[in-house]
Amino acid sequence: MQQTAIDPIRYDTLVQNERVHRSLYTDPHIFTDELEKIFYHGWVFIGHDSEIPQPGDFITRQVGTQSVILVRGTDNSISALLNRCAHRGTTVCPAERGHTRTFTCPYHGWSYDLTGALQGVPYPAGYGESFDKKEYGLTRVPRLESYRGFVFVSLSPSGISLADHLGTAAQLIDRACDLSPEGEIELGAGWIKHRYPSNWKMLPENDTDGYHLGFVHRSILKAVGSQYRRFVGEEKSIKSVLRDWGQGHTEIDFVPAYQQPFEWFGGVSEGLAASYLAAMERSYGKEKTQRRVFDGPPHAFIFPNLFLAEMNIAIMQPVSVDECVQWHTPMFLKGVPEFNKRLLRQSEAAMGPGSFLLPEDVTIASRNQVGLVTRNAEWLELSRGLNREYVDSQQQRVGHMTDETTNRAFWLHYRSVMQNGRA
Amino acid sequence: MVSDAEYRAVETFLYKEARYADEARYADWEALWTDDVVYWVPATTDPGVDPNTHISHIYDNRQRIATRIKLLQSGHRYSQEPASSMRRLISNIEVEKNERDEFVVGSNFLLVELSIQAKHETHMWAGRTTHTLRWVDGELRMSRKKIVLVNAAEPLPNMSFLI
Repeated sequence: MQQTAIDPIRYDTLVQNERVHRSLYTDPHIFTDELEKIFYHGWVFIGHDSEIPQPGDFITRQVGTQSVILVRGTDNSISALLNRCAHRGTTVCPAERGHTRTFTCPYHGWSYDLTGALQGVPYPAGYGESFDKKEYGLTRVPRLESYRGFVFVSLSPSGISLADHLGTAAQLIDRACDLSPEGEIELGAGWIKHRYPSNWKMLPENDTDGYHLGFVHRSILKAVGSQYRRFVGEEKSIKSVLRDWGQGHTEIDFVPAYQQPFEWFGGVSEGLAASYLAAMERSYGKEKTQRRVFDGPPHAFIFPNLFLAEMNIAIMQPVSVDECVQWHTPMFLKGVPEFNKRLLRQSEAAMGPGSFLLPEDVTIASRNQVGLVTRNAEWLELSRGLNREYVDSQQQRVGHMTDETTNRAFWLHYRSVMQNGRA
Repeated sequence: MVSDAEYRAVETFLYKEARYADEARYADWEALWTDDVVYWVPATTDPGVDPNTHISHIYDNRQRIATRIKLLQSGHRYSQEPASSMRRLISNIEVEKNERDEFVVGSNFLLVELSIQAKHETHMWAGRTTHTLRWVDGELRMSRKKIVLVNAAEPLPNMSFLI
């Protein structure tokens, strides 16, 4: 089962319904193929409207392994530009975020406006009269679409629309935004970047794996217990479920396990609850508000690189076949600042290199990566719950929280993208 | 002004605190704190950052330090099971006194960590620490420790040891 660069990679053999092959995590050729088909052809999440609120605001992000500038123009529209001078390839923007009127290359002084159009070239006579500045802008990312402030890009000029890519999983983004009395989230607290010495696919797989929670995170369960009771207990008593939203989008749905409002927030003080409820009821009325504060935010993965991590937003950034970075930031709710302040402290406890949850996931992912290099044991088991998952009235595949319904949903979509060459 | 004896006491405290952290002596390290504390590792090198609006790697109060220690002592904190092998060097110590007669101590550190929980990787950590120390019953204790890593805003590996 060794692959070489010239053999076609047989994803229909490597990904089966009940197992996947270890080379999917360890073969550098497969990693290169994933960048091409998933990260450069399909839709990827790049950032949020609220990160660049004013004309001239920009952020730089990685799409796959490429540096892309996301910038708001003077007309308030957003452009995604490759961070590469049209002249000699120098990055024109070294900063991760900031505010500017132009991007000027430090090498020979070529300057570009906020839409990427070439403005100035020093000593232009050297190019002759036929030189047309219009042909030398920063390369624009061919497609950019957003949904409720979540900005997605595709490096391919053609392909399915963002709406088709998200499908019904757009409801998961709705569920997050609808927790704000203004219907919008804000990502304004900065990002933490956590390095994983593992293949990037360990993250989406682990993010909606309900089986590991009581084991990998046993230290926090032992230390603070009660707030995490929805993760543990007898197999039959676990009420949370897994949901396959199609297109590789997956969810652990904790709602069936909640017994009271705000359980997803670890409870709230009476004062905080009262002011939040009042703001929500003014916007949505009593009935909708009660429903929303009971259900809380989604715990869901949007293929291929966005994790709606309850009250955090996370981005998966592939680096190489055995390295990736998870970015995260608290998901602030517009219109309720006191709520957000507490959220900041919760976010620090849960996610990031110094937190109480994620370091354990990183360690296990890293141990997986070490284990998967082992030869003669070629397959990873993926069959858990095939005997009991079902399709519900919404035509959604549903599994027990500890099953592998979500892993299979990820892999079967992955197989279709990788085999057919498009996301 | 800080006397030579005071400087020596502060320096001794820094070395002891570093040794407890390096040797995973969790209870001894926890006992060095007062009750009104902040243990802070910003996620940026920006000196003006506000921890109430900007996310930090660590922003612990006394209760959260206790939780952090409980996790490390649980036997299931897999990111520190077994504990990383560590040694840190401390230098460039500058000691001042604030208006409450506490010592405000700046120092640089270079920490070599051998992470042995998965792959065996050596990580280098470096930065500048600011301690706030005061006398409690004849012993120096810390009420504040802020660690600004040189690479605070970059992707970091696990940092679940005591930094």
